[in-house]
This record gives sequence, C-alpha cells and structure tokens, in this order.
Amino acid sequence: MAHERRVSPVEKAIRERFDLSYVEHMAAEKKVPQFRGSFWYYFGGVSLFLFIVQVVTGILLLMYYQPGEQTAFESVRFIITKVKFGWLIRSIHSWSANLMVASVFIHMFSVYFSRAFRKPRELTWFTGFTLLALSLGFGFSGYLLPWNTLSYFATKVGTQMMAVVPGIGPQLMEILRAGKEVSTATLTRFFGLHVAVLPGVFTLVLGAHLLLIQLQGIAEPESWEHDRGARRRYMPFFPNFVLRDLLLWLIVLNVLAILAVAFPWELGRKVDTLASAPAGIKPEWYFLFMYQSLKYFPATVLGMEGEALGVGLFGVAGLMWFLVPLWDARTPAGLRNRIITWLGVVVVMFIIVMTIVGLR
Amino acid sequence: MSAAPMQGWRRAAALATLAAALAGGGAAAVVMAAEPAGTPPAQQRPAGSAAAQPAAVDHCLGCHTELDGPEAKGFRTDVHFRAGVTCAGCHGGDASKEDKDEAMSPAAGFRGKPRPAAIPEMCGRCHGASASPFKTRHKLGDAAGAFLGGAHGTALKGNAAGPQCVSCHGVHGIAAVSDPRSPVYPTNVTRTCARCHGDPAYMRQFNPGLPVDQYEKYLTSVHGDRNRKGDVRAATCVSCHSNHAIYQVKDPRSAVYPTRVPETCGKCHSDKARMAPYGIPTDQLEKYRQSVHGIALLKNSDLNAPACNSCHGNHGAAPPGVRSVAGVCGTCHQANAELFDKSKHRAAFDSQGLPGCVVCHGNHRVDRPTDSMIGFGKGSACESCHANQPSDPAASIILQTRATLDSLFAGRAEAEKLLSRAEQLGMDIAEARYSLKAVNQAQVESRVKVHAFEKGAVEASAAPGIKVVSAARAAALAAIREYHFRRQGLGVATLIITALVVLLYLKIRQIERRQKHEER
Repeated sequence: MAHERRVSPVEKAIRERFDLSYVEHMAAEKKVPQFRGSFWYYFGGVSLFLFIVQVVTGILLLMYYQPGEQTAFESVRFIITKVKFGWLIRSIHSWSANLMVASVFIHMFSVYFSRAFRKPRELTWFTGFTLLALSLGFGFSGYLLPWNTLSYFATKVGTQMMAVVPGIGPQLMEILRAGKEVSTATLTRFFGLHVAVLPGVFTLVLGAHLLLIQLQGIAEPESWEHDRGARRRYMPFFPNFVLRDLLLWLIVLNVLAILAVAFPWELGRKVDTLASAPAGIKPEWYFLFMYQSLKYFPATVLGMEGEALGVGLFGVAGLMWFLVPLWDARTPAGLRNRIITWLGVVVVMFIIVMTIVGLR
Repeated sequence: MSAAPMQGWRRAAALATLAAALAGGGAAAVVMAAEPAGTPPAQQRPAGSAAAQPAAVDHCLGCHTELDGPEAKGFRTDVHFRAGVTCAGCHGGDASKEDKDEAMSPAAGFRGKPRPAAIPEMCGRCHGASASPFKTRHKLGDAAGAFLGGAHGTALKGNAAGPQCVSCHGVHGIAAVSDPRSPVYPTNVTRTCARCHGDPAYMRQFNPGLPVDQYEKYLTSVHGDRNRKGDVRAATCVSCHSNHAIYQVKDPRSAVYPTRVPETCGKCHSDKARMAPYGIPTDQLEKYRQSVHGIALLKNSDLNAPACNSCHGNHGAAPPGVRSVAGVCGTCHQANAELFDKSKHRAAFDSQGLPGCVVCHGNHRVDRPTDSMIGFGKGSACESCHANQPSDPAASIILQTRATLDSLFAGRAEAEKLLSRAEQLGMDIAEARYSLKAVNQAQVESRVKVHAFEKGAVEASAAPGIKVVSAARAAALAAIREYHFRRQGLGVATLIITALVVLLYLKIRQIERRQKHEER
C-alpha cells in the first residue's frame, strides 16, 4: 500500500536533475538471503567500515606526520602529545588496522567455508584475496612509520624473509628496503607505499570487489542450490540489511573507542640502528603464524635451505588458496566437496595454533 | 753434616791459623791465615742447596783478599758470609781447589762476575721461589720473584742500567736490613732510593715523566722529619711502596694504587700500638671508609675520588694547616672554596682559628652534604655558631636559603612523582621528564652558592630550576587531568553510541514489524 510520501526540497532538487529510477530499482530489488549463517555476511561490511576509519584517521595523521630520520618518531610523538585528539586518532588508526585485518580474515574464511567463491563469483574471490594481501601490506608498511625500535627490527626481520626467495630474493629484499639495510630510505619507501600506492590500488580493487557483488548479488547458501524445496527467506538490502550493518558498525565503533582510550597504542623508543635487536622480537600477530612455522624448519632439507623451503611452501600454499575456485572440483552429484571444508579447518587450526605458540 | 767431622774440621783450621801466625808471612800463610778467620761457623753453612758446599779451605777468599783487596775483605762483614755462603755460593767454581784454573773452571760451575741483568736470577737461587733447607732455615722469601715481577724488574729487563738487587743492598758487604750499616736500614733507605729517584739523568732512561723530587718532599714531611731524627718507625719509601714488589702507581697491584692508598696508610695509622707514642688517633681509616670520598673510591671504584694523599700529599705528607684546609678542599671543590674565601665566614673563621671547610663538613668522615645542614634543628651545621633568633642577622639568610633549596629539590621530587603517576596512567610525559634534566644545573649551582653565605645568592641560581620544576609539575597535573578527561569522554561517547545502537535496533524492529504487517 503506497503512502503519499513527503519529498524534501533537497530530494526534489536532486530528482529534478537526475533520473534515480535505476538506483531506486536496484535498492528495491537487492536482497540478502536470510538463514542460520547470515551473520557472517556482516564481516564484509565491518571490513569496509574499518577501511573507511583507516582512510579518515590516516588522512588526519598525514597532516602532521613527517617521514625522516629526525622527524618520523618526533612527529608521531607530537601527534600524540600536542595535537588535539591526536592521541585518539593515532590510537584508533592502530587499533582499527588490527581489527580490519582480523575482520578481513574472518570474511575470507566465511566466504571459503560457504563456498561463495564458486562460479560465478571467482573474480569476487580473487579481488577479495587481493584486498587481504593489500591489507597485510598496509599493516607491514604502516608498522615501520613511527620509526621506533620494535618496528625497525620487525621490519628488518620481515624484509629479511624476502632474501630467501630462490634466485631473485636478495634483489627483492633490496628493492623493498631501498638499499641493503633498513634505513630512512626504507622509511620513505614504506611511507610512499602506505599513503599513496596501496590506497590507490586498494580503492580500485575494492571498487571492483563491490561492483562484482552488486552485479552478481549476494551469494546464497549452497544448501538452497541443492535443495529445491528449501524454504528461502530474504531480507531487503535497503533498509533492513543496511540498518543492521549500521548497527554493527556502531558496535564496532564503540569497541574501537574503548580499545583506543583504555589501551592507547604505545609509541615505544626511537630507533637506535646501532643497538642490538631487543630480545624476543616478533612481527605483528597476523604474520606470526608464518614466522613461528618457519622456526620449525630444519637448517637444511634435502640440500635446500630450510627457511627458503618454508617461504616457498607458504608461497605455494598462498597461491593454491588464491586459486581455490579453479581447482575446487564439485562432486559428480553437484554436492559440496568435503575436502575443501577439511582443508579449511586444518588451515584455520594451523593459523590459530601457530599464532598462540608465537605469542607465548 | 754431623757434629763430629765439623769439630775436627774446626780444630784443623785453628791449628793452621796458629801455624801461619807463627810462620809470620808468605802468600801461602796469608791464604791459610785467611781461611780460619774467614771461615763461617759450621752451623751456618748452607747445605745441599743452590749455595756452594763449604770448602774445607776457601781458596777464593784467600786469593781475592790478596788480589782485589777491599771487595773481598768487605765480604767478611757480609751477612751472607756470616750465614755460611762462600764466594762460590754466588760466583760458582770450586773453592777447595788451590789452582786458579781448576777453582774457576766452568766445569766446576764457575760463573764469574754476573751481568747486571743476571743478578736477580743469581740472588734468586736462594732468595727466589725455589725451596731448599737453607732457605727454610733462614726464612727467605721470594724477593727475587717479587722484584722481577715489579716495576724495577721491568726496567732492568728493558735496560741493563736498570736497578737490581745490589743497587739497593750493596755487593760484598751486604748487611741485614736491621743493621744500621745497611743501605736499606730505615734511616738509610730513603737516601738509597733517592740515589736513582733523585737523579733526573738516570731516571730519564726509564720513565722521563716520573718526578725526581720525592726525596726532597719526603724531607719536608712529618715522616721524613721523624726519620731524619732517627725514628726507625717513621714511614719510609718501602713502607708505602713495598720493598721488592714495587709497582707503578697506575698498576692495580701497587700498594699505592688509588683504591689501595687508604689501606696502605691505615697499615700504620690504624695500628694503635704503633701510633701510641705519637699520640695520633687511629680512626681515620674507618671514618674515611664511611665518608662520601671513601664510598666513592672504595665502593664505587671512582679513581677520581680523593684518597689520603689527595689532601695530605704523598711524599710530603703532612696534615693541612688551618689556613690551607680550604685550599686543599678547593683543589677539587674549586667553586665552593672561591665563594667561601670571598664570604664573611673567611675572616670570621680566620679570627677564631677555625679550619675552614672541615668546621661544617668534618675531615676524614666527610658525609654527603644534605640540605638539612642549612637551617636549625637536626643535622644543622649552622647551629653550632648561629641561633634562630631575630638578634642573629644570619638567621633570616639561613632560613631563606633553606626554603629556596627545599622548593627546588622537594619541588622536583614531587614533580617526578606526579610524572611517574601520569606515566603509569599511560600518558606520554617524556618531554616534561626530559625538561627536568635542566634542573640538575640549578641544583648543583644553588648548592654551591650556599658557600657565599649571602642573601639572594642561592635564590638567583635556583630560580631557573624552580621555573622548570613548576612547569613539569603543571605538565604532570595536566596529563593526569587529561587522563581523567579521556575516561570521562569515553564514557560519554560509549553512552551516546550505545543509545544510538538501541535506537537503531528499535527502528529496525519497527520497520520490520511494519513490513510484516504490510505483507499480511
């Protein structure tokens, strides 16, 4: 039953200039499947929200941050001590970065376990995986920018891993470090990557990712596809899903505020390149499972350097994960391929266990 | 060696002497006469050791008394001769052989006159590390080893003109240390040392930087004065530097290495029996150990901290006079001494014969100065002369000075405490904490300015520090306020966001109810 709706002057002005029928049609038609696992759909939105937070706080930090030997650490100190609410912006930026990586991981695994990467959504998976890789790149490059002791040595260890790539490893490491050692040249390079290259690429890929979702609609649960008689319920995207998304965003914002104020992100001590590495140096938690696993590789395996083999295996595993839509074979009956589930469980368990061991 | 043959041997020697005397001359008779007179008592002869076995007749001494005269004759007075050591004991050879070639044959172990550098080794055959009944009997230590390991031994290794045993002890007429004829007898040893250490041309060969006026200074010291008057208990060179194990002052093994000086001086000055005749107190070392100087030197191993010799002098050791105390302290505490000299206290102290710095700070037991010394009451140094009464014009200066110091030092302590609290709350206070470093200068300067004993002197120095302290305190309080503001802000923000969440939830429910209603 249609109501006579009051139109605001702004809406009227817009409607006089633009044809909004396509948008209105899209908004009216867009639906989200409603079932037991619907909750996982929200992590895409949460990741998007946290990315927006990153962009906003990042731009604010950029107004004061100055990369350089004598300025990087000092400018961050200035931000957190002198700039009005600078401490809050910086703390939110750091916490939000971590939550975003966590959210993107959860989003990826939910897509994986629900097999939403299958035809016709292979491209969505590829772009999503690329966004995860870019998020990790954001984390890695941003970690160095405060130019404190921990970030310096973590970057040193992290970039060192590149050197074991057979053949081009040392060159790759040198490109990444902008020299043989981690230096202010590395800092400038990482700054450029963090505030220009990665945001540009990320925005493009994110645009593609969202466009694909828009074009193909939100994936429905696999069980609906196989069970013709299944009861299918949908929720309108506008306003139901969007409002629920907004609700979750507010909760995440609340969590973010509590974390930022109650546990302000530490600045640490300024880099002393001549000092020895602090004991127990570790990378950020999202790299920890790889770092910890590499420790278990023996020095040499079948004549190969153990670490190189480990990095190689992670490379192959990452590539396999990326390409899962291409090698995941449906069963002849078109039912779920259980190997995918078990493999996913093993990978999740592996990441969790290695991260916990690494944190201890 | 059994007693019976010895008695026979002595009897034969006595008979020979008698025969020679009766013969009344002739070289042979001289030799024979020399034997019994120069023959050491049998019970003192070295046996079975590095020292030569006694010859029934010591032909060496006989001939050399005739040929060389004084040197061989001098040996008859030598402590070694008396102990039974023959010429062969040092020079080797066979003293029983009358024939020169046989007696001085290398096959018989003849070494002749040793090279200077070989002398310590030669003496060390008895005065060294090796064990022998002779050494045990005469209680000989490892003097040669100590000498060779020390500064003199090092000098000798590098230059044959360097000192060796005979440089101090003499050659053939060596006397016991307790013998006043010995060059190392207490009243002689300083001159003996000065023979080399007072000779610039000689010393230049080994250590051109070493002063050569130690002996001159020593003569001006209390020790030197007593020594010159024949007091063998007064300290000489070897009392402090040791006799054989002498090391350079910069060598930690040296008895006069800075950290060992107090203990070396205390060897005598803490000995009540030794000091009793002089009526000197013996608690200086104990007091020094507890003093700020003693703690710095002995506990903290700060080699710049003063030891006994820093105030009393080393070779010219004497207590500083009343007028010179400030000068002595002022060699290190220069600014304090200058201010004191210009202050009213200088003249007042002089007129009453008070020895400057030590009146307030003490001498051997100099405690770490505290601000409670300034003022009235417990720990006050002013109170011994001044009174906290309006009639005393100094009272107001004293009280004002103390108040200024308190606001600087106590103010800083309070600011540090507040900053630590802010830091514990997670606030960044690095800048404020760093700014407090600037207060150090004001603190040192204002404590020094106390010695001007003038109105306004301390205040002027403390003012910049007090300003920094106030700013740091304000920064700490601001940080603590900011912390609470953030918590309150978080509370408000959380409430607002939570309210929005609730409202949104209600809105969603409302919309969905309406949708359901419309569907129906």
